[in-house]
Amino acid sequence: MNGFDDTLYMLVAIAGLTVVTFATRSSFFVLPPSLELPPMVERALRYAPVCALTAIVAPAVLTRDHAPFISWHNHQMWAVLAAGLVFARWRNMTAMIVVGMALFTVLRLWT
Amino acid sequence: MRRARHRWIAPFTKESYREGIAAMMPLALAISVWGVVTGVAIVNAGMTVPIALVFTLMVFAGSAQLATLPLLAVGAPLWVVWITAALVNLRFVIFSAASRNYFIGLPWRQRLLAGYLNGDLGFALFQRRFADDTERGTAEQHGYFYGGAMVNWVAWQIASIAGILLGGLAPTQWGLELAASLALLAVLIPMANKFPAVAGIVVTAVLSVLTVGMPMKLGLLVSVLVGGAVAMAADAWSTS
Repeated sequence: MNGFDDTLYMLVAIAGLTVVTFATRSSFFVLPPSLELPPMVERALRYAPVCALTAIVAPAVLTRDHAPFISWHNHQMWAVLAAGLVFARWRNMTAMIVVGMALFTVLRLWT
Repeated sequence: MRRARHRWIAPFTKESYREGIAAMMPLALAISVWGVVTGVAIVNAGMTVPIALVFTLMVFAGSAQLATLPLLAVGAPLWVVWITAALVNLRFVIFSAASRNYFIGLPWRQRLLAGYLNGDLGFALFQRRFADDTERGTAEQHGYFYGGAMVNWVAWQIASIAGILLGGLAPTQWGLELAASLALLAVLIPMANKFPAVAGIVVTAVLSVLTVGMPMKLGLLVSVLVGGAVAMAADAWSTS
């Protein structure tokens, strides 16, 4: 099934996602001032996005057709590895995207 | 000083509004790159242009948009889509808790809109500029906030809409969906600065790859739950 072609599904999804943006960004702006963020909860809130982003990126790069795809022939894997190193070293997002896409294109065309 | 009473915008000083614009301007290029990548990834994944425009104008959260894209593509259950976006966005809950004192005195509509506009970059700039101020919630602070937020919003929307309109022109072999993964990596890497986070990332990465065949994309939530628990355990262990 392709969700993109189901207009009602998409509009309901977008409406919910808009609510999620407001609910998270404005949370403590509109919650009662007496409510504090306990350190334990803050730590959990810190790790959840880290893990959620990983759970999106890792399968996108390291799987193919719903199966793990860790191989010399996985061009995306090498591109992401190189781009990750560039970003970790120079903290420059534009350079990182250029390096990652360039390496991916080189591997795709020449191997 | 802006004196007109506005339902959604708090009173602010023009000088600090300009200062906020000037502070955010150097980041406009990076915001635009992110926006174009997001827009291109959205239409390359197969979303129609009208829906994509509604998507980016309403949701206004690049990482959540990119994260939910593969879920929407396969028509994953709506609750999985929304929970995934909420998980990615939980960092904003910390931001709102950290900057609430600057906004808490305002009417609720102004707080609601200010929160919506409080993204990663604006939050970082604002904290750096006003962390030492003892008086919180001044018109000067609000001006700086709105100036930065305005640049962020305009740069993001122009760039993502350009990406949506131009993205369909790129052949799929170019692999532009990889750019979406790279953009998310740019958010992820700065958060991987301590052992518990790294432990969570490794466990989540392995599990999410192994569970990729699970129906309804549930492998994603399972791996986040286990990875998050491992990160919390590592945190408790390293601080004890």
